[in-house]
Amino acid sequence: MSRPAETATRHIAILGNPNAGKSTLFNALTGLRQKVGNYPGVTVEKKTGVCELPSGRRVEVVDLPGSYSLQPASPDEMVVRDVLLGLQDDTPPPDLIVFVVDATNLDRHLYLALQVIELGRPLLLALNMMDAATERGLRIDVRALERQLGVPVVGISASKREGLDALRAMMDRDVEPSTRHFRAWPPPLQRVLERLEQRLPRRASLPERARRDLAVAVLLNHGEDDALARHVPAETLDDARMLAQRLDEFSPGWRGGDVAGRYEAITALVAEAVSAPEGARRDKRSEAIDRVLTHRVFGPIIFVVLMGAVFQSVFAWAQPLMNFIDWSMTGVGNVIGGVMPDGPLRSLVVDGVIAGVGTTLTFVPQIAILYLFLSVLEDSGYMARAAFIMDRVMSRVGLSGRSFIPLLSSFACAIPGIMATRSIDNRRDRFTTIMIAPFMSCSARLPVYALLIGAFVPNRWVGFLTLPGITLFSMYFIGIAAAILVAWALKRTVLRGGFPLYVMELPPYRMPSWRSVLTTVRERSLLFTRNAGTVILAITVVLWFLASYPKGGEAVRTLQAERTQAVAMHDTPQVQALDHRIASASLEHSFAGQAGRFIEPVIAPLGFDWRIGIGLITSLAAREVMVSTMATVFNLGSGENDVQPLRKSLRAAVDTRTGARAYTPLTGLSLMVFYVLACQCMSTLAVVHRETNSWRWPIFMLLMMNGLAWLTSFAVYQGGRLLGYGA
Amino acid sequence: MTYEASAGDGPARTLDSLVAGERGVIASVDCPPVIARRLMELGLIPGTEVEMIRRAPLGDPLEITVRGVHLSLRRSEARRIDVTTR
Repeated sequence: MSRPAETATRHIAILGNPNAGKSTLFNALTGLRQKVGNYPGVTVEKKTGVCELPSGRRVEVVDLPGSYSLQPASPDEMVVRDVLLGLQDDTPPPDLIVFVVDATNLDRHLYLALQVIELGRPLLLALNMMDAATERGLRIDVRALERQLGVPVVGISASKREGLDALRAMMDRDVEPSTRHFRAWPPPLQRVLERLEQRLPRRASLPERARRDLAVAVLLNHGEDDALARHVPAETLDDARMLAQRLDEFSPGWRGGDVAGRYEAITALVAEAVSAPEGARRDKRSEAIDRVLTHRVFGPIIFVVLMGAVFQSVFAWAQPLMNFIDWSMTGVGNVIGGVMPDGPLRSLVVDGVIAGVGTTLTFVPQIAILYLFLSVLEDSGYMARAAFIMDRVMSRVGLSGRSFIPLLSSFACAIPGIMATRSIDNRRDRFTTIMIAPFMSCSARLPVYALLIGAFVPNRWVGFLTLPGITLFSMYFIGIAAAILVAWALKRTVLRGGFPLYVMELPPYRMPSWRSVLTTVRERSLLFTRNAGTVILAITVVLWFLASYPKGGEAVRTLQAERTQAVAMHDTPQVQALDHRIASASLEHSFAGQAGRFIEPVIAPLGFDWRIGIGLITSLAAREVMVSTMATVFNLGSGENDVQPLRKSLRAAVDTRTGARAYTPLTGLSLMVFYVLACQCMSTLAVVHRETNSWRWPIFMLLMMNGLAWLTSFAVYQGGRLLGYGA
Repeated sequence: MTYEASAGDGPARTLDSLVAGERGVIASVDCPPVIARRLMELGLIPGTEVEMIRRAPLGDPLEITVRGVHLSLRRSEARRIDVTTR
């Protein structure tokens, strides 16, 4: 920003363990004045907002990711460490840290707090969930905590918005950093750290006291630490590695020495500052709920029923909204089309821009409704239980339980599914999940399956199932099988390794706050519309151009002459038929039509001709567009809701060169398999781009999925022919 | 690397062998250094009491509590944590 600086903006960071209620506090302090982006080069989300303090001054608040330790085990935690140590280039170290802890569980939440207090930056401690602590009979001596920690302490309840005025008033004051230390290094380690400290580069953004923490980070570094590699000379890192090996030999256990020391300090501190009646430290209500929700038998049953209900609601509620958006965009198109003169500009606006906006918006109901459920599940604490129940299943492919719900969501639509992978803290697991999510058969594939099954699969009973039913089930199954295969392969090759520990906190159950849930829904819907929307709009316009140009052609001109005659003779049915044939001929003459012919040699081995080729190309807008494209190609007019005539046309379609039947049931099967596996949805690619913060992954996804689709369809079609099913 | 507490009275067992509701005191965490440190940062320090809450419906992972926190831990890690029971 090149605005003249009036006074330097004060930066305040909110920090704490996961489940401490950080985000609730952030929302309460900043309201809707929030910005969401990415930290550069990584896939960690950066949330900032503006908060007004009692003095009238405005401060910038950043909501740092939830973290357990300054020794990072995930990209999120690495960002936190980098910001606090001044290694994060785009985020200045905070002028004040608001450290949020769960007052009902100081025993564990104070661990990171002590680490951060030791850094020597101004910090104030917010004891969140004071209402729950009081309810359980915990009495916390705030003054004693202040004395022991050397920082100001304030009790709040972010979800009930209690104590926030006091907190804001404290944020307005200047806070002196604490001078306390809670760690003791054994003498050999002390000497090593002093030596390392000497060699660290001096930086204005790093307080003198925090140099020790940078030295610790360097000594405990176990590779894959970009920020350290950027900011610390390579020879210092090499030296540190050697020193660490020496310490391993002579002083085993040194790596955990400071951890035990801090916990001892916490135990003493809590004993002095917190008085609790017998058993008050346990959350009996959560334990009672868990006895049902994670029960051996009832747990999985409730899980399945709950997921079924969520799914049913997404389908039942999103569909009418999607239809409504479709209908209103058509209306808007008609109105604008009515006032604009006929011509290429009108076509661009109506069929390109408005259609693109419509495509983007039709995803929003699914995203919003799914996020409504997902954030209720997350905020209530159930999401961790779902992961607990499903972990065993997912570990078979090298993932964890956290991947299950994003994948399940992908059966509705891969886009909210991919967005939901944010809750997976292991980066490699998250990327693997993103890469396999589009294999789940989403709702946009259903119209294609329905068309092809209706056209080519005879409605026969096989035992107690019907052949169409079995075929549909097989398509879902093929997608899942491909996902398992690809996950297995990715976890053994490009996404191998990573932090190899699957430990997850099962947080206490809490009543989700509506404000927080709705903020999430709004934020995710806006993010999608803004980021993916622009890409979708651009590609829609490109597709519009490909399907509309070049205009004319011999066949179209002849048909238009015939139409003029038919109009003169008031032969309405004939005019309509000619309109459909003109649409078909125009499409055939367009770049998209030419591309269909151009790719024919590539797709011919799969049993597809150029007409299907056109459908594959227009499917890039959305898979279900295949159906209307095929209707246009077969002179049926694309507005028809009844797919029966199209099914008949597909069955009767003739190869224009040989005169033989163009599509057999085997073609239909091969095409369905192609739709299961191929990456055709540009909206998915746009979201993968945002969520992985790179173009490498979406391009890899496109090549990998389409390669797999081609090979599988090839095997189906050619294998089927060898077995004599080609007729 | 192994972190040890002073030996308890009872026999040493691994954390994954505790039955639901059974308590023990962590004796040692015998994992690769990076993992051991993280487990300790989450409160699994030698000398600390843990309680087995339950196994997941499919047998893995396990749910334990330590320092008032409920953690889900896979058996592969729990097997490398020794506890003493009374």
